[in-house]
Amino acid sequence: MNRSFFEALRSIYPDDRLLTRDVELLPYESDALTAFQTKPGAVALPIDEEEIIDTVRLCHRMKVPFVARGSGTSLSGGSLPIADGLMIGLNRLNRIKKIDPEQRIAVVEPGVINLHITEAVRQYGLYYAPDPSSQSICTIGGNIAFNSGGAHCLKYGMTSNHVLGMKVVLADGVVTQFGSESIEGVGIGPDLVGLFVGSEGLFGIALEITLRLMPTPQLYRTVMAAYDNLGRAGDAVSMVVASGLLPGAMEIMDRLAIKAAEASVGAGYPLDAEALLIVELEGEALQVEAEFAELRGVIEESGAFEIREAKDEDERARIWQGRKSAFSAVGRLSPDYIVQDGVVPRSRLGEALVKIGELKAQYQLDVANVFHAGDGNLHPLILYNGREPGALEKAEALAGEILAMCVDLGGSITGEHGVGMEKREYLPTMFSPVEMEIMRDLRRAIDPEEIANRGKMFPSGEAPALQMRGMHPLERQGVISRE
Amino acid sequence: MTGDVLDSVAELQAFVKGHRRIHVVGKRSKTALHQVEADVALADLSGMTGITEYQPQEYTLTVLAGTGLSEIQAALHEEGQYLPFDPLLPDHGSIGGAVACNLSGSRRHRYGGIRDFILGASVVDGLGRTFRVGGKVVKNAAGFDLSKFLVGSLGQYAIMTELTFKVFPDAPVFQGLRLQYESLDDALNAVFRCNRSTQELDLLDFAPWERGWSLMAGLAGFQDTLPQRAKQFVAMMREETALLDATEVEGDGSLRDPLAGLTGDFLVKVVISPRQIAGFDARVRDIGRRYSAGGNSAWLATDDIGALKKILEAEQLPGLVLRGSVDCPLIGKSPENLLAARVKQVLDPHNKLV
Amino acid sequence: MRHQIKSDDLRAPEMAEAIEKCVHCGFCLAACPTYKLLGEEMDSPRGRIYLMKGVLEDRIEADEAQPFIDRCLGCMACVPACPSGVAYGDLLVSYRTLQEQSRQRPLMDGVARRLIIETLPYPRRFRLAMKSGKIGRMLQPFLPEAFASMLNMLPDKLPPPSPLPPILPAQGERRGKVALLSGCVQQALAPQINLAAARVLSANGVEVHIPAGQSCCGSILLHIGAESEARQIARRNFPLMPDDIDAIITTAAGCGSGMKDYELLFKGQTDLHKASDFSSKVKDFSAYLAGLGLREPRGFAAERAVAYQDACHLLHAQGLQSEPRSLLNQVPNLRLVDIPDAGICCGSAGTYNLDQPAIAEELGGQKAGAILAAGPDTVVSGNIGCITQIRKHLDLQGKNLPVMHIAELLWAAYQS
Repeated sequence: MNRSFFEALRSIYPDDRLLTRDVELLPYESDALTAFQTKPGAVALPIDEEEIIDTVRLCHRMKVPFVARGSGTSLSGGSLPIADGLMIGLNRLNRIKKIDPEQRIAVVEPGVINLHITEAVRQYGLYYAPDPSSQSICTIGGNIAFNSGGAHCLKYGMTSNHVLGMKVVLADGVVTQFGSESIEGVGIGPDLVGLFVGSEGLFGIALEITLRLMPTPQLYRTVMAAYDNLGRAGDAVSMVVASGLLPGAMEIMDRLAIKAAEASVGAGYPLDAEALLIVELEGEALQVEAEFAELRGVIEESGAFEIREAKDEDERARIWQGRKSAFSAVGRLSPDYIVQDGVVPRSRLGEALVKIGELKAQYQLDVANVFHAGDGNLHPLILYNGREPGALEKAEALAGEILAMCVDLGGSITGEHGVGMEKREYLPTMFSPVEMEIMRDLRRAIDPEEIANRGKMFPSGEAPALQMRGMHPLERQGVISRE
Repeated sequence: MTGDVLDSVAELQAFVKGHRRIHVVGKRSKTALHQVEADVALADLSGMTGITEYQPQEYTLTVLAGTGLSEIQAALHEEGQYLPFDPLLPDHGSIGGAVACNLSGSRRHRYGGIRDFILGASVVDGLGRTFRVGGKVVKNAAGFDLSKFLVGSLGQYAIMTELTFKVFPDAPVFQGLRLQYESLDDALNAVFRCNRSTQELDLLDFAPWERGWSLMAGLAGFQDTLPQRAKQFVAMMREETALLDATEVEGDGSLRDPLAGLTGDFLVKVVISPRQIAGFDARVRDIGRRYSAGGNSAWLATDDIGALKKILEAEQLPGLVLRGSVDCPLIGKSPENLLAARVKQVLDPHNKLV
Repeated sequence: MRHQIKSDDLRAPEMAEAIEKCVHCGFCLAACPTYKLLGEEMDSPRGRIYLMKGVLEDRIEADEAQPFIDRCLGCMACVPACPSGVAYGDLLVSYRTLQEQSRQRPLMDGVARRLIIETLPYPRRFRLAMKSGKIGRMLQPFLPEAFASMLNMLPDKLPPPSPLPPILPAQGERRGKVALLSGCVQQALAPQINLAAARVLSANGVEVHIPAGQSCCGSILLHIGAESEARQIARRNFPLMPDDIDAIITTAAGCGSGMKDYELLFKGQTDLHKASDFSSKVKDFSAYLAGLGLREPRGFAAERAVAYQDACHLLHAQGLQSEPRSLLNQVPNLRLVDIPDAGICCGSAGTYNLDQPAIAEELGGQKAGAILAAGPDTVVSGNIGCITQIRKHLDLQGKNLPVMHIAELLWAAYQS
């Protein structure tokens, strides 16, 4: 970033919205994956879409890489800054521009916080369905970049399934619009919404997003079942699926995760359980009551040693608060951890858990397991103490083996956190060389300078790599660092 | 119009490499899409059929692109499951065609359209390369999601050879209801009322009927609660909308098929939002039509495609002609082509796929 | 997070522990009033932790980070929001103390600092000081938030001194025995609060002791980083409290949470056990009364719609949310109305108002708006700082609602 770039930036931003001092840049050097830290060259804080467009065009013209950031809650390092690049903080574009309850849509800016949408539309009996654990703070822009999921994805899908239309600025400054207010979205012609959502910020920046809203379920019925081993909880999930029920959420936590979450929010989880299964039904009251009677029968047959139903909304909220706090709560057990996000076919969950157990013993590291069992989406949290020499490397090696296992079992290296910085070396384990080449070509066709979120998703080559063997040259020079 | 029936991916690859311009056909249920110039070679995928992998426990299904929709539905039905996007033309079309044209039936109202249930695909692109996009598990966030991009892409970016979907357990019982209104305004208000309610409808379509409008609603669920849910629904509509009459419909009737009763040389799908309907409908009063999925798409049948084209252009609505003879099946508002062109440049730089 | 903090200072282990526990997940951002307003990482709890870490690791200069640390309201809303259990309050207090010891504070010259230390903790001296030359106003810029806000209560003159009786006997069956903390300057500024609290307790069968010669609890001094003075003054109260009491009652939120942190203040001191014994008995007025169970007051003749505004140091620092509300709900003819976002700090005045006028004004205005949206005819809080700030901003919006301490409203409910 040279002087003329800064000068041009200053013509877009007043001083108080262009951060350049060390003390202002430092807090931006990590997102929710602190294993990586890179101080950005500057942070710009636009307040409207014109400023974003001008900024992207400027970056394109002067070939300066940029990273768009909402609240910095990525667990894959997706919003890690680029050294000597620009960070564009979008959290001030937080207006909900339109709510149309009769069409069940909302039009929002990218910096709107996920939960704020639900809060704004609750009065109309509607809600915004995707519920990542960080929903109280993560932004829609970030959700779009990483196609965020949550505990309630099985029935209504992830972010991508809830975006109907968008206006975007591509990385080369071209502004375009696709989709509509119809529930069909694009409907006719290739589904560009589907392509843009989940592109990890590599195509450009979403400026305005039309979201679909869902009717608030008349009734939730939530049950917790405690098991004396993980396999049994996994079998219970298969039994629920086989029964033909379609729960809104099925979650499993293991002993360590239960302990951390319970210490954090006091959700009333049974501390003597090896595995806790949470199943939730939602929908029209009559239907849900009938389904719940059936679910109760299934769970009673599943070998749980304790079954507890949420008696009221408070109790249900506590159960979910515990679950949603689980990742961060592990901070109570260990100074450092790596969250993984692999997916396996649901029927192979048991196999995957056994394998993780073996790896855990082999590496002598603690692993807490939290997963969206309905989707086969595992979140092993690998605990380590970064102060011990070699501990991070050991934890990363274990994480790598878990990812390789997921791919071997026919799954994915990421269900909802995205590849980001963290898993980019693993992308080729899922995709063939042709597929990798096509994705790279696609990136270049849209962003010829490769300035948008440079260094993410694709394995090294574009930018400093997270590699599993030794330090990156830029790390050795002290340009980037990771803890 | 004949084409080469291609039974394998390798054959298809060779075919793509060996021709300058290619157009894909399956069961040819949508005639308007196949009006191509004489120099275009037809790649017929109707021979690529069969279910490759179906794991009811996983809620996933992988099929070859030429597989008939009826075959797929039968296989799912045996396991008590279904394709929630409710593909259109179930008796005639292939799954590849349904995806390429993005054609969902009325039951898509409950859980979503094709884009919401496609998980991955194998394709052959304009350079003859074969590769996979998306994944085979119900959740995947790795890499660019080209599988959704293929939905509605009309075979112009890459040719799908195999498709993976998320499937759901189907409800044991379905109850159709026909609600009558005096005017479109009343029917639209009824739709808005439904959208503000927490009733979970399987389908919600409306169309002119006799002298007024008919709202077709469907509920799905358990045998013992369904009658009461239907009663609740009708009671709400009676109380809060200008309902004239409500009748229960035996079985599926014509409720689930949005094309039932639509006659005309040309059949057109239009993407519309509920608020656009009043203005649009005033201009298409002489055309057979039905609004589907809570008024989020429209099916129109007409003999005068030129007139409809003008209306769609004026209303800035995109339309896709499915049946009838047209130069270009895309009418009205054009699809976005700034971002799409970049994808074309990568997947089909020589413009082979038409 | 990993860190490279040297642990040669006694406070470093606490700070290091808090920083280690932070996983940078960002859940605290949603709870932080300054982040909501400013939308910058540096003005979020996570960002401040990161900055403190940076200073302690010698990556940035303390002076550079200070404006962002100063902008923290200290409302502690981030603490219950934190899943990882970061003790942000301990970190902040330890950090501020450490910096206070090492930095030259241009604002706080020696004389002013001395004046605060010598005057404010002593109600009588403070009265004199206020009378003679409005020293209070001169001091105002140097005072921490909750304390200076008390000065705002009294634009021109102090109310007449109203000495509290040494003992208020329990009425009816005796259900408890407590000591009421009255050493605070609040006693000079708004004596009716403690009096109302004592009367409500007495009406509930509690014998209330109000030992003479009490001094300030020291929280206020700790806030300006005068750690040893804080200890000195806190110690004076230890021997004054009767042994056989159930609780030491306070009616000021900041004092309550400050005294609950005596263990940190007295760490390494010989009288640590006395301090923690004292600390363990401290209870906020509403917490004690709710635990005891309220004797139903007569209530009001006509319905009163009452909005309860959480004081940050009750809600976030002491976890008191349902207790005060349950008390109010038991008053006949009192309808409790919910303030949207009641957990957000009101930007309570004081130095915060002076140092960060824009933020304090914005928060105060938002709070007044939220209160008015709830449509109450009376506003109640458990802390004098909040009462002052809310009253000011309601006035600014032209709405002259009564704003009072919960003890005052309860006492009114017994009288009517």
